[in-house]
Amino acid sequence: MTAIDPATSEVAIGAPRRPVRARWSRLIEAWPPLVMLAIAWIVLTLIVAVGADAIAPYDYSRMDLRARLAPPAFAGGVWTHFLGTDELGRDVFSRLVYSVRISLLIAFAATIMGAVVGTLLGLLAAHLRGFFEEAVLMLIDFQASMPFMIIALAVLAFLGNSLPLFIGLMGLHGWERYARISRGLAISASEQSYAGAIRQLGATPWRVYGRHILPNIASTLIVNITLSFPEIILLESGLSFLGLGVQPPLTSLGNMVGYGREYIELASWILLSPAAVIVLTTLSISLIGDWLRDRLDPTLR
Amino acid sequence: MTPLLEVRGLARHYRVRRPGGLWGRTAVLKAVDGVSFAIGRGRTLGLVGESGCGKSTAARLALGLLPATSGDVLFDGQPLSTRQDAAWRASRRKLQLVFQDTLGALDRRLPIGLQIMEPLDIHGIGTRAERLEKTKDLFTAVGLLPHMFDRYPHELSGGQRQRVVLARALVAQPALIACDEPISALDVSIQAQVINLLHDLREQFGVAYLFISHDLRVVRQVSDEVAVMYLGRIVEQGTPDRLFRQPEHPYTRALVSAIPVATPNRARQRIILKGDPPSPVDVPAGCAFHPRCALAGPRCRVETPALRSMPGGHRVACHLAGETAAAA
Amino acid sequence: MMRYLAIRGLRAILTIAFVVTFAFFILRLSGDPALLILSPEAPPEAVEAFRKSWGLDRPLWEQYLRYFVAIFEGNLGRSMRDGRPALDLVMDRVPATLMLTLPAFALKLLIGVPAGIFAALRRNSFVDRLVIVCSVAGHSVPSFVLGLVLVLLFAVNLNWLPSGGADNWKHAILPVVTLGTAGAAIIARFTRSAMLEVLGQPYVRAALAKGVPWPSVVWRHALPNAAIPTVTIIGFMVGTLIAGAVVVESVFSWPGVGRMLVVGVANRDLAVVQCVLLLVAMCMVASNFTVDLLYGWIDPRLRAWATGASGH
Repeated sequence: MTAIDPATSEVAIGAPRRPVRARWSRLIEAWPPLVMLAIAWIVLTLIVAVGADAIAPYDYSRMDLRARLAPPAFAGGVWTHFLGTDELGRDVFSRLVYSVRISLLIAFAATIMGAVVGTLLGLLAAHLRGFFEEAVLMLIDFQASMPFMIIALAVLAFLGNSLPLFIGLMGLHGWERYARISRGLAISASEQSYAGAIRQLGATPWRVYGRHILPNIASTLIVNITLSFPEIILLESGLSFLGLGVQPPLTSLGNMVGYGREYIELASWILLSPAAVIVLTTLSISLIGDWLRDRLDPTLR
Repeated sequence: MTPLLEVRGLARHYRVRRPGGLWGRTAVLKAVDGVSFAIGRGRTLGLVGESGCGKSTAARLALGLLPATSGDVLFDGQPLSTRQDAAWRASRRKLQLVFQDTLGALDRRLPIGLQIMEPLDIHGIGTRAERLEKTKDLFTAVGLLPHMFDRYPHELSGGQRQRVVLARALVAQPALIACDEPISALDVSIQAQVINLLHDLREQFGVAYLFISHDLRVVRQVSDEVAVMYLGRIVEQGTPDRLFRQPEHPYTRALVSAIPVATPNRARQRIILKGDPPSPVDVPAGCAFHPRCALAGPRCRVETPALRSMPGGHRVACHLAGETAAAA
Repeated sequence: MMRYLAIRGLRAILTIAFVVTFAFFILRLSGDPALLILSPEAPPEAVEAFRKSWGLDRPLWEQYLRYFVAIFEGNLGRSMRDGRPALDLVMDRVPATLMLTLPAFALKLLIGVPAGIFAALRRNSFVDRLVIVCSVAGHSVPSFVLGLVLVLLFAVNLNWLPSGGADNWKHAILPVVTLGTAGAAIIARFTRSAMLEVLGQPYVRAALAKGVPWPSVVWRHALPNAAIPTVTIIGFMVGTLIAGAVVVESVFSWPGVGRMLVVGVANRDLAVVQCVLLLVAMCMVASNFTVDLLYGWIDPRLRAWATGASGH
C-alpha cells in the first residue's frame, strides 16, 4: 500500500482541530442526522394527530363548491387553501390533518393489538406446550403462508366493514411474528438457561415471565414493532385506497389518495400530499427501526 | 436417622423416534434406569461418569425438577412431588441446583446483587432491609467484593459468576445443593478456589452437596461417597478412598487408570476403553458394559448384574467382582 | 427426500384445509349463506332447494364436511351479480393477471438478483449504496403511490403511455414496472446479505487462500450457497406479488383477478371472493411446495439425505 490514506493525511495537517472533529463525528455516529430527522417527523405527525382540531383551519368535511379544485399556494393558488382543495372544495390540508389522525390511530391500535396478542400466544405456547403449542404453530404457519391482504379482503367481504372491525382486522396483521419470536426466546430461556434457573428457585410463572423473560425479550419485540408499524400503515392505506378500508365520511391517508386518483389529470395535488405523508412516515419508522435494532439488540447485529 | 435425601429405584425413560421412515419406529431411551442413593445432612455424594451417562438427569430427578418414570424421591422422609404447584415452589427453598453455564443461568439484564437476593424475594423471607443485609453478608462470604453488587453478569469473570450462582443457591439456606459440573468451565487455578469455597460453605452452613463431575480427581477431593454411573445405572459406589484405591468394576478401573498422576514413571497399567459408550437407546443385553469389557464372560452377555454389597459398605454391579480382584 | 417431501406435502394439504375451514366459518358468521350465495331476490323455492342441496338443515359438522366435498367437486357457487358460476368468472380473468404477474416476477429476479450479487461483490460502492437506498424505499413506498407517480409522469405529463385499461401491450408496461420494481429492491437486498454472509465464511477464505481464482470462488462456492436463503425469499415474494396485483390492477383498471376481487368485496359477492381466496391459497401452496423442491435440489445436505451416502 503506497497510497496515503486521505483521512490520516488530513488529520496530520489539521491536527489542532482534531478533538473538535472527533467529538462531532462521535456525536453524529451516536445520533445520525437522518434518524433525528425521522424522529422529528414522527413527533410532528404525532402532534398533528393529537392536536388535529386546533391545527386544521377548516372542518375536514366542509365543502366550498365555489372553490373546487383550487391549486396549492405554490402552484398559483391562494394561501387560505395552501395545499389546495379537492373536487368538492374541501381544504386538502385540513383533510390531511384528520387523515393523519385516523391513519395513526389505526396503525397504533393495530400494532399494539398485534404485539399483545402475538406475544401472549407465543408465551402461552412456550409455557403450556403440548396441544396448545401445536395449535398456535399451525395458526402461525397458516398466517405466514397466505398474503394477509387477501385474508383481510375476504373478511371484509364476508363480515362487512366498520371501524372497530377494521382496526381489529389490522391488529391481526403480523401477530405471528411476535408469537414466533416470543415462543422461541421463551423456550430457549427456559431450557437450562436463566428462566429455568429462576423457576427452580421456586418462582411463580408470573415472576418468571414478568420480571425475567419479558424484559429480556422486550428489545427484540420493540424492533419487531418498528417493522410491523409501517406495514400496517401500508396495509391500511392500501385497503382504504381500494375503497375497502376507512369509509367516508371518515378520511384516512389511503382514502384521500384513492379519491384523488379520479382527478389525477386535473388536480394531482389531492393525492400527492397524502401520498408523500405515507411515504415519509413509513420511511421514518423504518429508519428509526434500523437504528434501534443496532442500539437495542446486539443479538441481531 | 432418616437421610436428608433418599432416592429409590429412580428411572426416567424417554420415547424417541428412530431416524428413517416417515413415522419411524419409536424406541425407549433409558436416560436413568433404576438408580438408588442417599445423602446425609451436610454430606457430599459425588456422581461420576462419561457425558451422556445420565448423571445430570439423575440430579434433576432427585431434586424434583423432572417427573420420574418410576421410583421415589424422599426428602426429609417425605415424598417429593414434581407437580409445579405452590407446594413444589415452596420446597425449592430447601433444594437448589447450580448450573455449569453460569452466564446462561443468570439474567443478563439484572445486577448480580438483586439476582442473589431473588430467592429471598420469591420465598418472602424477612423484610427488604433484612434481605439486603443478608445478601450483602453472603456476597462477601463467597469472596465477591462489595463494589460488584451492582455489576451485570457479563462484566464478571467466569470464577466470579460461579460465586454469584453459588451465593444465589445458598442465600435461602437450602439443605441440599446439586452442583452440575460446577467447575468444568473454569480455569484450573479458579477451579481450586471454587472447590475450597464449596468446602468452606459446607463447614459454615452445613449444606449437603450432590456433586456431579466427570473429573475424578475433583470428585475424590470433595466427596464423602462416590457413585459411578454407566448408561443410566450406578455400577459402583463407595467411599472415595476405597473406590479409587481398589476399584472393583472394570469400568471404574478404566476411569481410575485414566487419571493423570504426578509420578508417571511409577509402574501403572492404563486401561484404554474400546469404542464409545453405546447409545442409551440400544443398551446391550446383560451387563451394559460387556461390549467394552476385556474380562466379560458368557454370563455377562445374558444376565444384568445387580448392585451388591461388598465388605465395608462398598457396592458394585459386576458378576466378576471379588473374583477378578483375587485374580489380578 | 421422500420423507421431506411427504412432510411438506402434508403441510400443503393442511394449509388448504385451513383456508377452507376459515372460509366456512367466516361464511357462517356472515349470515344465511343461502341468501348470500344465491342472491336476495332468489325465489323462496330456490333458496329451499339450495339449503337442501348444501345441507344447511343438517348439523354443523355435517355441513362442514359437505362444504369440503362441494369445494373439491369444483362447486363454488354462483356470482351474485350475473349468476354465472364463480369459478368460470375467476378463471376468465386469470390470463390477464398472469400477463402482469409473470413479467413482473421475471423483472424482480432479473434486476434483483444480479444487483444484489454485484452490490455484495463491490461492497460500499455506488451500486451497493443504491441497492440499500432502493430497498429501504421499496419497503416504504406503497405500490399504489408508485403506480400513481408513474401515471402522473408517463401518462399525464409526458403522454407516452396510457394510464389504464388493457387494450394492447403498452397498457401493461406501467403496471408491470410498478409491480416489479419494489420487489426487485427487496430481492436485491436479500441476495446481497446472503452473499455477504457466504463470502465471510471460512470455506470461502480457505478457497482463496488455497489459490483458487476469485471468479471461480464466486461461481463454485459463493453463489450456490447464497442461493439457498434467496430461494426462500422468492417463495415469499409470490405472496406479495399476489397482494400487489390486487392493488396495481385497481390503480391501472386492469381486468384481472385482483380487480375482480376488489369489486367482489365491495359488492359482497361472496362466491367470487371465496373462489379467489381458494385460488390464492392454491397458488401459495404450490409456490411454497416449489420452493421446497428447489431447496432440495440446491441444498446438497437435503440431496444427500435423499439418495443416501453417495452424492451421485
